[in-house]
Amino acid sequence: MTLWFLRGLRRGVVTTRYPARPDGSAEHLPTPPAFHPQALTRHVADDLVALCPSGALRRDDDTLLYDVGKCTACGRCAAEAPDVATPSGEFELAATDRSVLIKRIPLQGGSR
Amino acid sequence: MTPEELRETVARQFGRSLHIRTLDTGSCAVCEQEIRLLAAPHYDLHRLGFFFTPAPRHADLLLVTGPMIRAFAAAASKTYEAMPGPKVVVATGACALGGVYPSDPFTHGTVDAVLPVDVWIPGCPPSPLALLQGLGVAVGRLAERVRDLPFTAPDHPERTRGDS
Repeated sequence: MTLWFLRGLRRGVVTTRYPARPDGSAEHLPTPPAFHPQALTRHVADDLVALCPSGALRRDDDTLLYDVGKCTACGRCAAEAPDVATPSGEFELAATDRSVLIKRIPLQGGSR
Repeated sequence: MTPEELRETVARQFGRSLHIRTLDTGSCAVCEQEIRLLAAPHYDLHRLGFFFTPAPRHADLLLVTGPMIRAFAAAASKTYEAMPGPKVVVATGACALGGVYPSDPFTHGTVDAVLPVDVWIPGCPPSPLALLQGLGVAVGRLAERVRDLPFTAPDHPERTRGDS
């Protein structure tokens, strides 16, 4: 505290840099899922769309529209299809434009 | 004033000191729990120059949670109008971004139906670390990362295991 105070007086800056170091608790946070395009078929995608309680997923032909802003990281898609959806580990998701939160994920698992 | 100009002004004027007014527009209060944690010693919002204020007239940044219930829309607009410019609106949590409630006779469903939102922070609830990053993005001190995240996992886990 004293060192911080003296450093502040010397430099004339009272705020600190962020992040000073990686936060150890970050790995325990629930995070929105990332999808494996190779494992995504229309059938699987439709299942996930029906499963998602917050309407974050939508299928448009051979693209899965994934709205990260709507995702509540509940993990139901990862529990239902663990080889398709896995937690992404990303939580610093602030966006200055709403549209950048909508991700287009191609379905590359064939037309089943 | 375009959002870019606004952010530039905010970065210049408030880069190292900014007052936050939180606005609950019908959230379940878990977002508020996380916002309150920002002031705890572990996250220590004040070291970064952010402060909470109880009055919108003293606030530079409006941290909005909840799905914007229609009964609160007029009060939210008045809060926004009462703030001196330049001002930033941050929509916080999946409700505020339209994820949990649809637009119906009770809620607008999203915050940007009523207020001009500058920064969106996803999460249900957004963790204090996510909120700190959002505030950093709002004042232009941190980079926006989500734009370049594809949210596709590169390898199929089964296939990777089979190849190796």
